[in-house]
Amino acid sequence: MVEPSWTATTPLSRIYAPGRHGVKNDAARLSMAELTGFELVQVMARRGMWSPTDQACREAYGQAAPAKPQATRAEGALLIWSGPDQIFVLSPRGSSLERARLAFAGMASLSDQSDGRTLLRISGIKARDMLAKVCSLDLHPAVFPAGAAAATSIDHTSVNLWRGEDSAGDDGAAVFYLLVFSTFAESLWHTLLDSGAEYGIAIDAATPWQG
Amino acid sequence: MRIACPFCGPRENSEFSYLGDAKPKRPGPDAGEDAVYEYVYLRDNVAGEMAELWYHGGGCRAWLQVRRNTVTHEILSVEPAAGAGAASVTP
Ligand SMILES: [Zn+2]
Repeated sequence: MVEPSWTATTPLSRIYAPGRHGVKNDAARLSMAELTGFELVQVMARRGMWSPTDQACREAYGQAAPAKPQATRAEGALLIWSGPDQIFVLSPRGSSLERARLAFAGMASLSDQSDGRTLLRISGIKARDMLAKVCSLDLHPAVFPAGAAAATSIDHTSVNLWRGEDSAGDDGAAVFYLLVFSTFAESLWHTLLDSGAEYGIAIDAATPWQG
Repeated sequence: MRIACPFCGPRENSEFSYLGDAKPKRPGPDAGEDAVYEYVYLRDNVAGEMAELWYHGGGCRAWLQVRRNTVTHEILSVEPAAGAGAASVTP
């Protein structure tokens, strides 16, 4: 019997082209990347079980489960608010699902979304200008500081958006992350490339999510 | 038109879907055919203030009860509908 061989690809791999995109006459003022190698678990507290879920989260991850639109750095995971009484646990590829299963047994429903979403990183001094064309939220630092999160729609596509820590590079610019349904990732990627083309985009090689 | 989602904050109309009148309540199993007919088919056509159900499908995916003036589109209040948020609201 012939053993089938499988090549793991990401939802964007068919169209992903690292390098420059858009105007090329100057330094890129925007950088974008697909982040791979993550595990994503949706945790939804059962009716009346938000308090125990929050308590379990503190014990297992060392941080409160975010109860409002925020992304909280925790032990080995990022905890992202995704709606009332529900969060995402985002971790590097490993045993995240098993860890969450043990932590939240009996109080929350879990579903593995690791292959259901695509994770994008957007940074650079023009990141806000690019996003402003497609996202109706106010991303000004006064109202959307590092650690802020939102569930919203971009180009009629549901996304989870949050702001991470500012870039360590010399521009010190804000860094935004987007989770999008995998089957919508190609379409959203094209929209974002169009939106950012005028600023010059450096598309980084796809790299694993590091937390 | 904007709706201030109690979970997400103010959002544009296109993030929401409209279900309709929030008033009709499913009749009990013994209520009879007329009550079921009324629940399924008959709706008031309100010109003015009305309680409506809206779904924040383009955001947090919670059901909301919105009090809206159907003539002016003024939104008077937005609350989580019963069952939205496992702990916050009991049905
Ligand atoms: Zn909402």
